[in-house]
Amino acid sequence: MTVTAPAVPPVPPVAAPVQPRRKRYGTDNVSGRRMWGRMIIGALISLVFLTPYLIMLVGSLKTRSEILSVPPAYFPQDGLQLGNYQSMWSTPETPLTYNLLSTIIIAVFATLLVLLVATPAAYYTARFRFPGRMVFLFLVIVTQMLQPAVLTAGLFRQMLWLDLNDTWVAMILINAAFNLSFALWIMHSFFAAIPKEIDEAAQIDGAGRLKVLFRINLPLVWPGIVTAVIFTFVSSWNEFAASLVIMSTAENQPLSVALTKFIGQYATSWQYVFGVSIVAIVPVIILFAVIEKRLIGGLTAGAVK
Amino acid sequence: MMSTLQRPGVRTGRKKPRSNESLWAALPWIGPVLVLIFGVVIFPAGYMIYSSTRRISQAGTNVEGVGLANFQTVFADPNLPRILLNTVVWVTVVVALTVLISLALANFLNKPFPGRTLVRMAVVVPWAASVVMTTTVFYYGLDRDYGIINKFMVDIGLMDAAYGFTKNTTTALAAAIIVGVFVSIPFTTYTLLAGLQAVPGDALEAAKMDGAGPVRTYFSVVLPQLRGALAVAVLINIINVFNNLPILRIMTGSIPGYGADTLMTYIFKVLQFDRRLDVASALSVVNFAVVLVIVAVYVKIVKPTKEV
Amino acid sequence: MKSKVRIGLVALAATGALAVSSCGFGGDGSGEGDASSLDLLVPSYSDGTKALWEGVIEDFEAANEGITVNLQVESWENLESVLQTKIQAGEAPDIYNGGAFSAFADEGLLYPAEDVASEETLSDFQESFAENEVLDGTQYGLPLIASVRALFYNQDLFDAAGVAAPPTTWDELYAAAKKISDTGTPGYGMPLGSEEAQGESLIWFAGNGGSFGSETEITVNSPENLEAAEFMKKMISDGVTQPDPGATQRTPMINVFAQGQIGMVYALPQTVGQIEEENPELNYGVTTVPTRSGEPATLGVADRLMAFKNDEDKQEAITAFMDFFYAEDNYVDWVQTEGFLPTTKSGSEAMASNEDLAPFLDMLPTAEFYPTTNPAWNSTDGAFKSLMGQLEDQDAKTVLDQIQSKADAA
Repeated sequence: MTVTAPAVPPVPPVAAPVQPRRKRYGTDNVSGRRMWGRMIIGALISLVFLTPYLIMLVGSLKTRSEILSVPPAYFPQDGLQLGNYQSMWSTPETPLTYNLLSTIIIAVFATLLVLLVATPAAYYTARFRFPGRMVFLFLVIVTQMLQPAVLTAGLFRQMLWLDLNDTWVAMILINAAFNLSFALWIMHSFFAAIPKEIDEAAQIDGAGRLKVLFRINLPLVWPGIVTAVIFTFVSSWNEFAASLVIMSTAENQPLSVALTKFIGQYATSWQYVFGVSIVAIVPVIILFAVIEKRLIGGLTAGAVK
Repeated sequence: MMSTLQRPGVRTGRKKPRSNESLWAALPWIGPVLVLIFGVVIFPAGYMIYSSTRRISQAGTNVEGVGLANFQTVFADPNLPRILLNTVVWVTVVVALTVLISLALANFLNKPFPGRTLVRMAVVVPWAASVVMTTTVFYYGLDRDYGIINKFMVDIGLMDAAYGFTKNTTTALAAAIIVGVFVSIPFTTYTLLAGLQAVPGDALEAAKMDGAGPVRTYFSVVLPQLRGALAVAVLINIINVFNNLPILRIMTGSIPGYGADTLMTYIFKVLQFDRRLDVASALSVVNFAVVLVIVAVYVKIVKPTKEV
Repeated sequence: MKSKVRIGLVALAATGALAVSSCGFGGDGSGEGDASSLDLLVPSYSDGTKALWEGVIEDFEAANEGITVNLQVESWENLESVLQTKIQAGEAPDIYNGGAFSAFADEGLLYPAEDVASEETLSDFQESFAENEVLDGTQYGLPLIASVRALFYNQDLFDAAGVAAPPTTWDELYAAAKKISDTGTPGYGMPLGSEEAQGESLIWFAGNGGSFGSETEITVNSPENLEAAEFMKKMISDGVTQPDPGATQRTPMINVFAQGQIGMVYALPQTVGQIEEENPELNYGVTTVPTRSGEPATLGVADRLMAFKNDEDKQEAITAFMDFFYAEDNYVDWVQTEGFLPTTKSGSEAMASNEDLAPFLDMLPTAEFYPTTNPAWNSTDGAFKSLMGQLEDQDAKTVLDQIQSKADAA
């Protein structure tokens, strides 16, 4: 299974993970005035993207009747109802602590599963040509076109046969299967952008393919992995249609389904709907804060702190 | 068009993926993906197609096979042309605006400035939040009576009186498009931002030495290098926007008739209001076929899997 | 080797996940093949619904050793899609609380009421409600709750506009709505959006002696209904309603009334409690629905419990549950907490003294119900929801004909 490698230019030694010492795009030094301009634009952009969630946050701090006042008030008039964030964990409608745990378990393991199966496939399809490669890649993208929303009947039936209805495993598998296409394709495009000479040199040095993948290539595709992780995690985190029919026990239902429990026939507890939505955003932001540095990768040269 | 742009002189020696391997050799690498897809996706997809050829009662009982009768119902539907038109407008406008704004935003977020990490985190929030909730906030914000956005626009003098944006076809569709773009930007921006990390500095310096200005550098060096990430981002966006239900269902959901419907919301209405599981399955199959064709054409033209 | 450790960790974590997550919290696999385990699927009427049912179930399980009840509560919006998926997979809930039942009964999916409730329980239902549960001579549903619509009016807006007394006829309603609208506040709230267009329509149709039809025939475009729809259209085009009635949903609109921003709306018993909670200062009154002639008529809605036949024989357990639930104390407590009208004789005696409910109880005998026993009702209902709002910019006949043709096609 060895491949005859063509003559290649010298490459960095294989022993250490390759850190490309290239100057990257956008790392120019700029004047202080321009820096202020960027900060102001940055602040405006932040405002635009945060506004709906600020409305949500303010709503979650109002009383139930205040949210529905006509005309609306910008800010809570009866004082900040911080107690909403305490009482929402013990409402009669839904066991929120369990819902949060279920959501975390499902999203974390679905994301790990996607990385586990998609990374080798992305690497291989980017590096090697084999019969059926295009068919494989197209098959993968087809899964993205099939949304669980229109497939709930079949999914329910399938999980019934597998005796997995109302289990985390069912939702982990479903979320992983329907979200792996983006992870695979984006990592594929990143692997494809790495000069192959690096691999070839490593293999001449006797490194196996797995070793080449993990030691040489992975460090170079971190930005792609980060994007794939956020994408998969967020999609699993917010999945609704399949969870609704497959998870029937209140404790096992994810937050997306739990939210609907606050919507009654005649009255909706909007303060909780908004509060839970805010709480649901936090873990994703934490995840992002943890892995964001990987997005910048080795990018430090010339950057301003 | 993008494929005609050539990156200047770096690594020109590399073209195709490496020589042929057998499918057997590939199997350990791609096998797990195949297991997952065949294990989870194939059955429900097949079941959808099967349901589209059955007569299913309102209660949900599978009564009998009817061949292609459900598809005849679908294609004879007088609402279909308008719905397809709406779908095309919806997908085209949302994806085009998303990509343009995201390109600019990714470029900006790639420049160093104090507080950049915070801005990046702010941009990620709409992605982290559930689309249903984001849309709900917009929907209530735009309500004539409760709407804080309506009130704000009246207060700053932009409008004379509150207006029912979500209650009229044109404004509701426009509002839905804005929300669609709003929630699609973070994902697209981050994919492009990741792509920008791979733009090699030597190519930039080469362009600089050639005397290229920032604009020309962007179009001749940066954009071609972004091709892979951009192609994937556009592809995923097309599919997701096409298949998006919550945004339109909430923003245009209270409008009577089918004038503001896309394929997805129409499927939803057939399911929810007409209770025709069988016809809805047939519509889903049609919906799937349309995306499949669009994606096949896209992949053929753009070749996102091609080596850069 | 760091990378090996990392791979190992990922693999370990994945294996761990599969081991840990093979089940989930609680739940007992819904007890398939277990004749003493009942699945109960119910909608959420209010934020207390889940707790109410949990209380009933706890007491029931304590009194009936060996029978367990698995409760699933869903919002109204999701209820039917969950049910449909379950039926399609042959996993219907044993007991279901819902609206229409005829489509299920028509296919033989339901137990007849006499198989799942004792004679004593069945004979306690008021006849008018029990009749609504009959298809082809057999009763299937057990009436759970009832509600009728009444006219809620804002006394302060009446006074400001110079409306002397609440209207009893359409013409008076029109005049009052016009006077209030002239002061700048919408006079009458007409919710023809998808939430409950069928409800608003039937209130008006019933006010002209019309209906949606019977067990055997759906009549949407009858002359009486058409006249009523034309009057509704006149209200809209003369601007005496709120803006965009065709896209207005009921729940948020009733709330706007509760905030004092609409003159009159048709609303339900729960609205009294809602106003009490959200805007207790509102100076309002409740009266009978104005009709064309002035003879009272209104819309009545009833929801029911029904029992699905599943593979195993659970009749005995279901009967035990139904008899337990409909026993006077349990039932009255349930209905009263949810703020509905009772459907049993013993229940209405027990609740007769409730003042808030008095105007609604008075109207119950004049109520016109949806033809839920007609298998085409589901489609008619859906057609109203998606099409009736077009009354805003199409003529009444076109709209009713469209709905009729959807009903005929079902």
